[in-house]
Amino acid sequence: MKNRQPLFHVVKREDSRPGRQLLAYVTAVVLALAVGAVLLAVQGVEPLTFYKQMLTMGIPGSRYPWRAVENFIKLFVPLLIVSLALALAFKMRFWNIGGEGQFIMGAFWAGFAAMKLGEILPKPAMVLVMALCGAVGGGIYGLFAAALKVRFGTNETLLTLMLNYIALYFLQFFAETKAPWNFFLDPESARPKFAKFPAGAQMVTVPIGPFNLNLSLVAALALCVLIFVYLNYTKRGYEISVVGDSPNTARYAGMRVGRIVLRTIFLSAALIGMAGAFHMSSAGVMSASPTNDVGWTGIVVAWLAKLNTLGILAAALLITVLQFGCQTASAAYPAIDANFANLLQGVILFIVLAADFFTRFRLVRRAGKEAVK
Amino acid sequence: MDQQYAIEMRGICKSFGSVAANKDIDLSVKPGEILALLGENGSGKTTLMNMLSGIYKPDSGSIFVDGREVSINSPEDAKKLGIGMVHQHFKLVDVFSAADNIWLGDDKSGPLLKKDRYDVIRDMAKKFGFDIDPRKKVYNMAVSEKQTLEIVKVLYYGARIIILDEPTAVLTIQETQKLFGVLRRMKASGHAIIIITHKLNEVLEISDRVAILRKGEYICTVDTSATNEQQLTEYMVGRKVELNIDRPVVDKTRPLLEIRDLTIKNDEGAVAIDHVNFYIRGGEILGVAGIAGCGQKELCEAIAGLRPIESGQMIHKGDNIVGLPPKAILEKGISMSFIPEDRLGMGLAPSMSITDNMLLKKYDQAKGPFVDRKTGRAEAKQVIADLEIVTPSTETPVRRLSGGNVQKVLLGREIKAGPNVIVTAYPVRGLDINSSYAIYDILNTQKKDGVGILFVGEDLDVMLGLCDKIMVLCHGKVMGVVHAHKTTKEELGLMMTGALDLTHKYEDKPAGIAKDSRIGENEEVEE
Repeated sequence: MKNRQPLFHVVKREDSRPGRQLLAYVTAVVLALAVGAVLLAVQGVEPLTFYKQMLTMGIPGSRYPWRAVENFIKLFVPLLIVSLALALAFKMRFWNIGGEGQFIMGAFWAGFAAMKLGEILPKPAMVLVMALCGAVGGGIYGLFAAALKVRFGTNETLLTLMLNYIALYFLQFFAETKAPWNFFLDPESARPKFAKFPAGAQMVTVPIGPFNLNLSLVAALALCVLIFVYLNYTKRGYEISVVGDSPNTARYAGMRVGRIVLRTIFLSAALIGMAGAFHMSSAGVMSASPTNDVGWTGIVVAWLAKLNTLGILAAALLITVLQFGCQTASAAYPAIDANFANLLQGVILFIVLAADFFTRFRLVRRAGKEAVK
Repeated sequence: MDQQYAIEMRGICKSFGSVAANKDIDLSVKPGEILALLGENGSGKTTLMNMLSGIYKPDSGSIFVDGREVSINSPEDAKKLGIGMVHQHFKLVDVFSAADNIWLGDDKSGPLLKKDRYDVIRDMAKKFGFDIDPRKKVYNMAVSEKQTLEIVKVLYYGARIIILDEPTAVLTIQETQKLFGVLRRMKASGHAIIIITHKLNEVLEISDRVAILRKGEYICTVDTSATNEQQLTEYMVGRKVELNIDRPVVDKTRPLLEIRDLTIKNDEGAVAIDHVNFYIRGGEILGVAGIAGCGQKELCEAIAGLRPIESGQMIHKGDNIVGLPPKAILEKGISMSFIPEDRLGMGLAPSMSITDNMLLKKYDQAKGPFVDRKTGRAEAKQVIADLEIVTPSTETPVRRLSGGNVQKVLLGREIKAGPNVIVTAYPVRGLDINSSYAIYDILNTQKKDGVGILFVGEDLDVMLGLCDKIMVLCHGKVMGVVHAHKTTKEELGLMMTGALDLTHKYEDKPAGIAKDSRIGENEEVEE
């Protein structure tokens, strides 16, 4: 029999140093940018200038640099909150891919509150009510899938996925149906068009010099800390880990698994719904497709960060820089559009997965040829 | 050399990462010989055999088949060389018939399921003296039938060198004897056989020579006729070991847990436990013997409150525990530790640290919203020290520990909680001699403290040595409760297969019902 010895073989690493992991991730991003540079060069775009514009997001030299930062935050906050909320569900091995639907439902009920109560309630209270309505609306939408899973053992991946489309078309129905009862639409316009929210429903901003700090950013960062503590130090977070690790063990330890699943998924979906509400009041007007794909991108962010709260902050920041940067930079290049950000995002994810392999295994050259004689 | 070896391994080394699983191992088997491969857990037996069957490749060293050097790169190569392995966990497709399972992996059979395959395989099995029904589906087969099928499969593929990885672990004593008959026949027809087992008495019975590994190193090969259990143990462990299991005599209390007329269904809705009676006193170990899957798991789950019961009573210290949630049963001091086949399925959260696993049943007792990891860490440290658990730290995920240490963590936590009834199923499953004895000691210490222990076991020798009484189950029915020092393995084996029913041995006292029962006590007080 012929002796075919592979040149390398895979050896599992004993230790897992966080430094190595960080290095792997940085390398992955750099490699992805390199791949992107080749693609840019093929289209006749100077990669370095493009990247420079992308990474600075067109802020230097702009006439309204603060405006760019404000817009950046509007993109960043929903993604961050949704990723955090999804991590909560994923930690329990509940595959909530219904972020889109829960976000839309949150946005819808926040919009509902804004149109109905916007004239009555004063500003800070109105924003709070919107956030609450969004949270409850999104939370109940998520709870539906969780309850079916707990009661009948349905597959949550399919269910949350399909609920996304129901939510999307539900909202579109309101966006496109011109009728006297449809209070979402602008009565002045002949064609169906969303009316602007009353002034009280606009997001609270704190002016710092020329810059208006969006209050939802503060809320999102606070959530970061809260969720970190919740997952790592509280009894409820402990339950989530055990249920995610082994539901049998959780039952054996006397935990009420069904109740824990319901509570956690409600929380996860409610946070996503709240992100939808924040997004609505920051935009100041409803939209038929409000999500900007955060329900999907949030999944990428949560897994890039391996469900680690601090990692999610970093990954959400990175992805937003890519998206927002590409948007602004592509304004100068007709050949490139914002989809380039999605492409880079995909390449990064692939390379990170490969890099992950090398943080856990290493290749060793086959030693000793004595076996071959 | 007067006779050529069927298989010879020289200087085999294999490491995983920095851990050397096999260091410089020599091994040889002649045709018509049975070699037993003996060693503790983690001594590298299975690794070594996996290199013969093409699953792993040695880092260095050479393998000779019939005196010719070979390189085995895949299970396919091994098959071509006539090496067949019967794995500990059967590699069968459950929904296929016996014949189809064999047909599936056959190169000669072509892509079609030919009609005559049943006859071909029946004839072939008959030639080797096996009695199998080629049309029977695997999911309808008993464990021993599955094993027979595995052996037939290997023979059908033309194996002359057959490796069996712990074949007797799942068999009753009678089935083991039947298997040994088969092995002797194969030996007579010139097959070379390597058998891995933990059980020394079986080694002495079946093998011609014994090769011993210890911590990945080759110790020696001895002729079976020239050795004994004591010597083999010493080779295996590396020092003198007391082989007797202690059975301390302790004053027994009145029944702690009484089970009366209990019926439980399994997941498929079939009756798993059928009108069972038994009781456990404090200071006694009650063994539960039975073939795998005859209701042990369902019984344990029911006692722990994890499985609803159909009918019957479960009385703990005079209080009814039927229908209580698991948490309430825990609080009464009934602890259950079930070690499933995969060891991690129930009782531990594998990805979480030892500290977190220590807290599993009491995380909710801490004041305030936070988990009290400080106590958990202190307890983890103590259990690690008390039970000599080998681990890098208290924060190591349980999944990373070796089997024996995982089981010690589980038992350590259960004992730490200070229960008065311990239900433990397969606590030494897959453990080597050293770790097993450590666990027996732990159980005996608890027994001396007046704890009542229900010990669901596999190895009859161990149960005969450790338990005070043994209850035998067969298809969910009690076949009798016998005193361990008055019974024999043969008697137990007959009861396990249902051939002997001792429930009505004593007319005045039906098996499993205590004379000084506490059932009904409470009602009387109320009257």
